[in-house]
Amino acid sequence: MSAIQKTSSGVPLTGRRAGRTAAAPRRPMPARTRAGVIALNTLLAVMGVFTVFPFVWMVFSAFKSNAEIASLDQTFFPRDWTMANFESIQTKLDFFRLFANSVFLSVSITVLAVYTSLLGGFVFAKYRFRGRGFFFGVILSTMMVTWAVVIIPRYTMFRNAGLVDNYASLIVPAAISAFGIFMMRQSMDAIPDEVLEAARIDGASEIFIFHRIVAPMSINAISALAIFQFLWVWEDYLWPYLMISTQSKQVLAVGLTTFNGQYSTDYGGLFAATTISILPVLVVYLVFQRRFIAGAASAAVKG
Amino acid sequence: MVVVTVGVIMAFIVVLLIVPILIALRGSFHQWNPLNGTFTWVGLDNYAELFADPQFARASLNTAVFGVAAIAGRVVIGLAIAYALFSRLTRWKGFFRTVFYMPTITPLVAVAYVWKLMYNPQFGAINSIFGLDVNWLFDSRFSLLAIILMTIWKDFGYAVILLLAGLYSIPEDSLEAASVDGANSWQRFWRVILPLLRPMLFFVVITSLIAYLQAFVQVLVLTGGGPGTSTQIISYMIYEQAFVKYNFGYASAIAFVLLLVTAALTAASWRFNSSGGADRPGRAARRRAARRAAAATTEGSAR
Repeated sequence: MSAIQKTSSGVPLTGRRAGRTAAAPRRPMPARTRAGVIALNTLLAVMGVFTVFPFVWMVFSAFKSNAEIASLDQTFFPRDWTMANFESIQTKLDFFRLFANSVFLSVSITVLAVYTSLLGGFVFAKYRFRGRGFFFGVILSTMMVTWAVVIIPRYTMFRNAGLVDNYASLIVPAAISAFGIFMMRQSMDAIPDEVLEAARIDGASEIFIFHRIVAPMSINAISALAIFQFLWVWEDYLWPYLMISTQSKQVLAVGLTTFNGQYSTDYGGLFAATTISILPVLVVYLVFQRRFIAGAASAAVKG
Repeated sequence: MVVVTVGVIMAFIVVLLIVPILIALRGSFHQWNPLNGTFTWVGLDNYAELFADPQFARASLNTAVFGVAAIAGRVVIGLAIAYALFSRLTRWKGFFRTVFYMPTITPLVAVAYVWKLMYNPQFGAINSIFGLDVNWLFDSRFSLLAIILMTIWKDFGYAVILLLAGLYSIPEDSLEAASVDGANSWQRFWRVILPLLRPMLFFVVITSLIAYLQAFVQVLVLTGGGPGTSTQIISYMIYEQAFVKYNFGYASAIAFVLLLVTAALTAASWRFNSSGGADRPGRAARRRAARRAAAATTEGSAR
């Protein structure tokens, strides 16, 4: 992933572009261009409808009765709005309990992983020490390892340690993220060392510099990583499925498959259950999307 | 601070990644079933069995088809939409960007269930909208296609965001120079923009490749590998051997083959990217351009 980085040390930008393009006068739009505007925006609108449609269809269907969902005469909006599906998944599988479990786990793992990523990023971006390149290389190379290789040994290790049904088994393996350390280091590289030096001269401790100067300056990267990390925990299926055996401790993603396995023809319930799994994440995203897209793109651009 | 942080990170990597990898490697040479407690040395038998297993051959073929089609769809659609959003003629750019990214930040398990319902032959939205009569998930001619379509829908937004960031980082004077030289918009796209976008396209292809070789939740939710073996892919086969049949040794052997294939393909695409286009003229010019684009990307995101 560093090829983009390496090539970037090459030819510097020529300084010509400043000022030249801004001066172009605004001309009235020719007819051909107007056709282009319509064509482009239509294309985007059609693709946008395709993108959003499954979500909208899911939400409306969640408020239909099972009889209405299966009826031959399909309508987009529910004819009779009903909350029955939400009530039934609650009585059948205590979905709101699963929801609360997922929220608890996602929030605590996200806080923990973002903090350790900040710390790791800070150390690798702002300190010079022996073996720095080697250790960072080790961290990066772990991103290549597929879940398929490590999951069986981890499963036996955590079982033998008696951590089945214990949230520690879900939290510990996710506490440190190689991707997060990498992302934070990239973002902190942009903070000039002079800022840190000035703070040191003023007598600030390293702990103070980390918490009060470097961390606040990484806010875009933090929000992008936080949303990614939250989503990864929220959608993680296999590991909680293997580690948690008590139904009341289970997470949403596993609850969905359990529900579908036990009540495979309760389509209304499945619509309601997926709505509960998807909508909260969408809302969080829509609230933070501006900062998130800036952070997500910059992290990858630099990778 | 440095010693503690780096020490904790390295301890984490050794205990939760390196030791498990070694255990899995050792396990792949054993007949290993945790349910009846067998752990018997069998040498290379698991690997020999693997390469004679028709199911593995089918899974490899399906994985290749799935990976190539999903990456192609993601990149082509992502590029088309990113280019449309890049155009000066487009309105509501921020809105569209937010919309196209929505599927990417939603949980995969839940999304897969929504698509399972969309593919339902009785009331699913896809058949009723397009007036089709296809049993998507239970007809072996369509089942893999159904999984590919869902995956492309879920993931193309990621390509849109990254390629858009790449497009914005193209120096304006190279676009200007192209129009001064009389290039039409078609030539401008193929001769100027696409070569400059190459580092970012490469990044998208590589990350997709690594992700799609590991993907299995789509298959788990939508088809369970069926009908027959029509949607059996390697990572799903590992899941099935490990946690349905508890053949830990055999599953570890498949996982190691997958890891080697991932590493080899990643290395091969690095080579291809650094030597690519050698048979076509203007290679040096394009590499220079690509380097400039990369310089601009890093510069742009540092601000």
